[in-house]
Amino acid sequence: MNSEETVKQCCALLYESDFAKMLLGDSFHPGGVKLTERLGTLLRLTPRSRVLDIASGKGTSALFIGERFGCQVLGIDYSKQNVDYANALAESKGFAGRVSFRKGDAERLPLDDASFDAIICECAFCTFPDKPGAAREFARILVPKGRLGLSDLTRGPVLPKELDGVLAWVACIADAQPVVSYENYLVGAGFRIEHTEESNEALLEMVEQMRMKLLGVEILVGLKKLDLPGVDLSSAKQMAQAAQAAVKRGALGYAIICGVNG
Amino acid sequence: MKKDADYVFYELTRSICPNCRRVIDAKVLLRDNKVFLRKRCPDCGPFEALVYADAEAYTAHSKFNKPGTIPLAFNSEIHDGSPHDCGLCPDHQQHTCLGIIEVNSSCNMNCPLCFSEASPGFNLTLEEVEQILDNYVRTEGNPEVVQFSGGEPTIHPQIIDFVKAAKARSIPFVMINTNGKRIAKDDRFLEQLNEVRPSLYFQFDGFDSETYRIIRGEPNILEEKLQALDRLAKIGLSVTLVPAIERGVNEHEVGKIINFAIQHPAVRGINFQPAFHAGRHMAHDPMNRITIPDILRMIEAQTAETFKVTDFVPVPCCFPTCNSVTYAFIDGDKITPLPRIVNVYDYLDYITNRVMPDWSIEIKGALEGLWSSSSVAGSQKSADQLAFSCQACGIPESFTVGDIAQHMIMIMLQDFMDPWTFNQKNLMKCCKEFLLPGGKQIPFCAYNTVGYREKARAQLEAAEPERKRARAEGRAYEPRPITFNFDQPAPQNDLRVLVP
Repeated sequence: MNSEETVKQCCALLYESDFAKMLLGDSFHPGGVKLTERLGTLLRLTPRSRVLDIASGKGTSALFIGERFGCQVLGIDYSKQNVDYANALAESKGFAGRVSFRKGDAERLPLDDASFDAIICECAFCTFPDKPGAAREFARILVPKGRLGLSDLTRGPVLPKELDGVLAWVACIADAQPVVSYENYLVGAGFRIEHTEESNEALLEMVEQMRMKLLGVEILVGLKKLDLPGVDLSSAKQMAQAAQAAVKRGALGYAIICGVNG
Repeated sequence: MKKDADYVFYELTRSICPNCRRVIDAKVLLRDNKVFLRKRCPDCGPFEALVYADAEAYTAHSKFNKPGTIPLAFNSEIHDGSPHDCGLCPDHQQHTCLGIIEVNSSCNMNCPLCFSEASPGFNLTLEEVEQILDNYVRTEGNPEVVQFSGGEPTIHPQIIDFVKAAKARSIPFVMINTNGKRIAKDDRFLEQLNEVRPSLYFQFDGFDSETYRIIRGEPNILEEKLQALDRLAKIGLSVTLVPAIERGVNEHEVGKIINFAIQHPAVRGINFQPAFHAGRHMAHDPMNRITIPDILRMIEAQTAETFKVTDFVPVPCCFPTCNSVTYAFIDGDKITPLPRIVNVYDYLDYITNRVMPDWSIEIKGALEGLWSSSSVAGSQKSADQLAFSCQACGIPESFTVGDIAQHMIMIMLQDFMDPWTFNQKNLMKCCKEFLLPGGKQIPFCAYNTVGYREKARAQLEAAEPERKRARAEGRAYEPRPITFNFDQPAPQNDLRVLVP
């Protein structure tokens, strides 16, 4: 294999695995910390709250919550790499002791019963295969009257056909539910729904940013500053456009749902 | 023998009589591959004007017209019908992308060409500007662009406070529309600009002293302008050059302006405008005015096809024939217009309903987003590692993603409608509005043609003694809302026409 081939292959690997993530950002989390702050306010967090962040990823939200509301936060994530990264970040920011991270599975949380006052779970619930089980786990580790705040992708009753491609591409959208389904999972686990609000704007903004990034990629490729063998730009563009149209007419959305335990 | 008409009757619209300003029907005609507006006032007679010097492009661009975005709130009701209900009224078909606040009426120049007819009259107070901005936030939610204009806004004693007030309301793009005179000379002012960091919308019509003598009444002003641009480059503020192109005056300078813009470190864009024949202007022939396709042809001829007519695309935000735009990447001597490497039409609906004065900033954000996000996606790849991998793909060592945006230039063409070319259909999709005390937002081409400017100016000037009293007594000034009533006939336009 000549060196050019090697380079191309290396880039192909890089981009095949990371292309979608590159467009979506470091975590698929519409609304960013602004929406996290909204969630924290709805959960009425105080410096005395013990908060659990489920699927904490790189720790951005947990650290933000810890800083903004002065509370104690534990982040749980399935990826050890994420956990190590987030713990290092917490230490470097001087949060060690107050904000920490552990590896764990949301459907079988390695935590005691009634050990937390609040749970946040951002754009992750829709990816859990056993949703009723996960909801029961949330109820188990929350104190009575403890609050749960979900933010997640929502969809209309029927998912439009043209989104098939998008779903295959971004696996986590595949199991997005209508708002009422999320509510039903929570109610089924013993939660009382306290508050639901749509945040479709945040999702729209994110899809628009994705399209902008695609433009950036296309420019780089066109200027021959970047070689992307194996990446089908034009179908990526079509999918992004379809996603944007779906969000605009309400077929895809984003919502915050808050429930009280017991 | 019966004869065919020498034109195609393309559509019927409404316009105004350029003389008495009464609203009248108008016909859009295609003739000799050009577009004309023909109308007849029952009192003042027939009128015809050139609208667009390329009928094929005019009709083709119509398909880029997209649904508008509805503002969160309106500031007027439907009562008399367009164009007399502006505010915006619920009949308007687009939100405000660009809000313009004329903070004063005085100027340190006295240009023969000035649609705002600058002369001493009023200076808005901070209370008025804050109220206007608050209203803008109320109707837009997150307004993207505000432009302070005048008169000459840099000579308003509180212009820096105005920029701060806009930034305090999280408006990302705050522009000052200027002739550059104060920037060229005033060190203290330059320091203040450096602190608040607005973008500059910079009057720049060419290089010939004859150009500046005719359009600006100051044959020797070029040196000051160059000085101002160099000083802005030193503090790293970005500038959009705004040349007014007038028949028989500076048509030959279009290419030279582009070359200059490409090379000057402060200049990020150019906004070419056919000289606007409203307010104070030179005598002109409405049948031989400069239109967007004319300037496009000048660009192609005078840049040796570095830029071609086909590199420009319509802007679907407002009416697609009101603007054309291109972006180019500059790499040393090599200039690559983006439409040649990217299918811009795939993204046109993205830029729908927003006119970014510096789109390259968005592109830069997107490009930087690519890198920073992938550096933490899934694995532990650091930005450095990724940068290294991409170097292997052929990115020169010194090259960073930010460079791409730094080396991007925007060339936009914008044709405002004067009382001759006024087309209500375009007006209703206009996205550039003048923002007034009390909250009224008046579309650019209604404000300067229908009679809004004169009515607003009279009220703004009438309030000046009270502003002065408030300033002298050191108390807050209570803004007076500007209102409009078209029951009384508007004052007649001053028709300065070469060929009647």
